[in-house]
Amino acid sequence: MSQTPSAGTQLTVAEKVFDFVDERVGLRLLTAKMLNEAVPGGSRWAYVFGSILLFIFIMQAVTGVLLMLYYVPTADHAYASTQYILHDVDYGWFLLSYHFWGSTAMVVCVFAHMSQVFLWGAYKKPRELIWLVGLLLFALVMGFGFTGYLLPWDQRAYWATTVGVEIMDKTPLIGDFLARLLKGGATPGQMTLSRFFVIHVMVLPAALIGLAGLHLFLFRCAGPGGPFRGTPQELKAKTDYFFPRQIWKDVVGMAVVFASICAMAFWEPVVLLEEATPDPGDYHPEPEWYFLFLFQHLRLKMFSGEFGQFLGAIAFPSLLGALLIALPFIDRSPERNIFKRPIALTLWVLFMVSILIFTVSAIINREFLD
Amino acid sequence: MQPQLKSKVRCADRDVGEVTKVIMDPLSFEVSHIVVSMNGASERQVPMGAVQTVMDDLVQLRSSSSEVLALPPFKRDDYVTLHEIEVPGLEKHIDVTPGEVLVPLPELERNVKRRKFFANLTYVMGLFIGLPLVYPVLKYVMKPMFAPFDNQWQKIGNVGKIKADDTGTQFEFKHKVKEAYLPEAEIEKNVWIVKATPAVLEKVYQGKDMEFRDATGKTLWTNKKDIPFIAFSGKCPHLGCGYKWRKHKVLGPVFLCPCHVSIYDASGKVIEGPAPRPLDVLPIQVTESGEVQIIDMEFKAGTRVQSRMV
Repeated sequence: MSQTPSAGTQLTVAEKVFDFVDERVGLRLLTAKMLNEAVPGGSRWAYVFGSILLFIFIMQAVTGVLLMLYYVPTADHAYASTQYILHDVDYGWFLLSYHFWGSTAMVVCVFAHMSQVFLWGAYKKPRELIWLVGLLLFALVMGFGFTGYLLPWDQRAYWATTVGVEIMDKTPLIGDFLARLLKGGATPGQMTLSRFFVIHVMVLPAALIGLAGLHLFLFRCAGPGGPFRGTPQELKAKTDYFFPRQIWKDVVGMAVVFASICAMAFWEPVVLLEEATPDPGDYHPEPEWYFLFLFQHLRLKMFSGEFGQFLGAIAFPSLLGALLIALPFIDRSPERNIFKRPIALTLWVLFMVSILIFTVSAIINREFLD
Repeated sequence: MQPQLKSKVRCADRDVGEVTKVIMDPLSFEVSHIVVSMNGASERQVPMGAVQTVMDDLVQLRSSSSEVLALPPFKRDDYVTLHEIEVPGLEKHIDVTPGEVLVPLPELERNVKRRKFFANLTYVMGLFIGLPLVYPVLKYVMKPMFAPFDNQWQKIGNVGKIKADDTGTQFEFKHKVKEAYLPEAEIEKNVWIVKATPAVLEKVYQGKDMEFRDATGKTLWTNKKDIPFIAFSGKCPHLGCGYKWRKHKVLGPVFLCPCHVSIYDASGKVIEGPAPRPLDVLPIQVTESGEVQIIDMEFKAGTRVQSRMV
């Protein structure tokens, strides 16, 4: 606006409040700095996943706090209080199911987000630190899934924890200590529930908020990577700001994710199994579908025996993690175009195909177990 | 109007150079000094009081060039730039072209010796607070981690429910546990009992009695090699799931764990799958009337050698 405000201009209350805050903290400037972030090559639908993850996390925090109004983290009340949420509290089934499917959406979107960064070569200089903090955030998301799974204290919860902690126990030297530390004893019980609960609702959220902030800060320091095709002049010509075009796309993405999670909560609401006990009865322990490939590969002959198990449960996943950490330091070529990075493309395709094969074979295996 | 960076500086008698830096007062938010480069020679810091007029590209001074030259040289180290420090609200009052904008380093901060010492002192204080906490906190979280073993005999039922030799029969029982401050609770557990034929018995005991010792090494119980009842812990030695007695299409009746498909024969031997050791045999007593008692032990899963957990 080029007009200068005349003496007669009446400010609305909202404007006065805004001006009051602006005068003290520089809100206008801050907002401008937040929103006027140049997106090289222009906004894209492909860039929505970061914002979507933030949105999913906020919704998990909101539904999580609401669930805690009724949930009691004790071995004798956890199951009953969860059932109470599901069957007696108005819309409890919806909030719990939203929280459950929200966690699935989180895993799916983290996976998409990381795949994109990998394929776009966005982990390369100067964005190595964003990638590393991103890997930590990925670990936190896994931690959320693992600790949250135990809380309903049903058979599924109990056995996922039993097997998961036994796997951790196979870490050389510190495994036994680590497993007992997490379980608060030799076998899963009240101490395990207490520990998982505090990790799930206190430790991990605090860590995630801090690291997500750092992730964003580092992102703003380096700026978005932009597309891997196009000359600097072309990219500059198409560049726009984060607001309004990218925010519009992000918001539409969030709405789609929200609607999908709600739809899953309606169609497949959470149903608990029997209350947790060390006697599995007829229950066949199995992790969530996105962990099936990990679960299935431990059934392989090459991962049998004590050493094989160490290879499959500890060495192989650790090696994968180490490779991901080392990635920006191994792959130092500035080339970002995935079609000019044959090794990266081959590895990614191989990884996807093996996940697919192991997941499908785990599903096929189910039939032979009944 | 504030003096612009790069504008010419003219003294009463002649031009002396240009404005290279502007020094702001962090309290009044006014420009307090300009820094003048004396035509490429060293820089002089000239107070605004010596400025007569400020124009777009010219700063006119009252003093003569010799008076300006007589000023002490500009000391860069006494100042920090705005990038290094944030003075709330200052930025809004700056109206000079880009360049260094300075505020004076406080008197007390000049020539401070032992900066490194003070920095290290903060780390030492951190350790001083943190280190004494390590042991108590570690002990605090470790309290329930290494509970003593429960070597009580558990009554689990009567062998009358076993229908055939060399087949697995599940015995469910309730084990009383006392966890921390909680009231004593009963948890459901199970073991598998096999009434073994001599051939299977031989595979399990290999001609020797099986001794069980407590944590101190004292013998708790000995399973005699000719007692035909064998109790297996309900926990799969692969990764701790619960296994079942199942009919396998190829292998016939076997113990099968649905988690990672470890398969054991009636003697507990691994015949297929990833398990690193046979099923764990437990101490067992059977009375004349067929009542079975066991000591409920659990062993760490995933290891070749047994290591007791519970």
